[in-house]
Amino acid sequence: MAGIAVFLLLLISALGETSSSVVAGAGVGDAPGRELADLPGGRYVPLFRLPEEPKEQPVAGFGLETAPVTNGEFLEFVRQNPRWRRSRVPRLFADEGYLRHWGGDLDLGPDPVRAAARPVVHVSWFAARAFAVWSGRRLPSTSEWEYAAGLGFTREDGALDPEFQSAIRRWYGTPTPSELPPVRAGRPNFFGVHDLHGLIWEWTSDFNSALVTGDARGDTGIERQLFCGAGSSGAADRSNFPAFLRTGFRSSLKAAYTLHNLGFRCALDVPNPAARKSEPKP
Amino acid sequence: MKSLRSLPVRGCVLLSLFLALFASGAGIGLPQAGEPPAERPPCCRTAPTNSPPTGGSLYQLESIWTSDVGARVRLRVLEGRPQVVALFFTHCEYACPVLVRDLKRIEAALPETIRPSVDFLLISLDSERDTPAVLAEYRESHRLGLDHWTLLTGAGDDVRELAALLGVNYRKDARGQYSHSNLITVLNARGEVIHQQAGLDQDPAATVAALVKEAGSVRAK
Repeated sequence: MAGIAVFLLLLISALGETSSSVVAGAGVGDAPGRELADLPGGRYVPLFRLPEEPKEQPVAGFGLETAPVTNGEFLEFVRQNPRWRRSRVPRLFADEGYLRHWGGDLDLGPDPVRAAARPVVHVSWFAARAFAVWSGRRLPSTSEWEYAAGLGFTREDGALDPEFQSAIRRWYGTPTPSELPPVRAGRPNFFGVHDLHGLIWEWTSDFNSALVTGDARGDTGIERQLFCGAGSSGAADRSNFPAFLRTGFRSSLKAAYTLHNLGFRCALDVPNPAARKSEPKP
Repeated sequence: MKSLRSLPVRGCVLLSLFLALFASGAGIGLPQAGEPPAERPPCCRTAPTNSPPTGGSLYQLESIWTSDVGARVRLRVLEGRPQVVALFFTHCEYACPVLVRDLKRIEAALPETIRPSVDFLLISLDSERDTPAVLAEYRESHRLGLDHWTLLTGAGDDVRELAALLGVNYRKDARGQYSHSNLITVLNARGEVIHQQAGLDQDPAATVAALVKEAGSVRAK
């Protein structure tokens, strides 16, 4: 016990000297510094809601990483956390496709430099969550992610930004390329966040809060509003086709699934909202 | 950000870490002295076995849960006997009373020879309101026997993880009610999912058959 105490003491004093990774407390490794955008918060209009629920949900300000996690960054996590290596991860926490695009446990394949800049995919929700905890952060919630995804290129409200609207529709109608582009290649939004649309799908902390499931017959009422028959009649905005796609996609996932176009980025609570700048990044 | 680095805060983190360490070290899986085992629910009697959990076992989870009798445990303490598991919350108006009734129906439908070797596990989705005391009251009012029924509550993040493993989707609505999949899961003695019953008010026959098969294989060992 004394040994553990001394170790903890050392660990904590070491963490105290590092940057924002202290915020999330224990379990923080030597994570790469990943840029965060300070999002002021706003509202999220869920696509589906119960009749008695309010139309909009407030979203508090938070920090969101400006790009998805890359293969290179995930490699460092896997290096420091052997239980998340491809050959060792328990099947319960990642299906057999986990990191299948890599050459091996610690091998990014024939062109590691090229691969390192690309978003990591073929990761399960459990793996994404473990990475987030290791880096002192967390996954964004679905409402946070959707709020951020609604921010336009040139103004906060993406719904009023026609260029933004047509850009995201274009992507949702385009198949995933066989080789993903590097992160940050897409146009950043008003707050400097890249790739929320146009690169990959992303895990959220509560992806499993959408109540349309394979075993929906006995579920509570919500799923009846989703996708069956005149499914869209209850939706807040029937023209928001990408939001339909995302809702449907999330609800089809299980936490151990891995897919060739599904990755993640992390988020962080903003410790001092008063000190936050709401100026967009240049 | 600066305030987070200051000494008092760091001291606080340190203190709470120590407290967590001692609290968890003291309680996990150890039978409490001076009490006959039958007066404690299944979660809080047996020490965990030493064999490491299998790759498909839910008992790989390191999360710590609190029982209605106050003990802090890892799910691994339930190893060794099949468990019939459901996620619920005590303030539930619609589905959960039916879900708990469904569990009782399964219990009643088990053959006499099997029933004593099967446990039932209710885990709350409502980390805020379902304190151990509230769960204890629920046990009392729903007559959930200490001999086979475990009631647990845990941190929101840990509930989310467990729900993800069981395939239970849920969300809290504006009234504080949780909408959730109604799913009953059977874990074998090693903590692997061997059967799931979806929906309310289902015929328990298939679930009972899975339990009979599992109890048979446990006995054969």
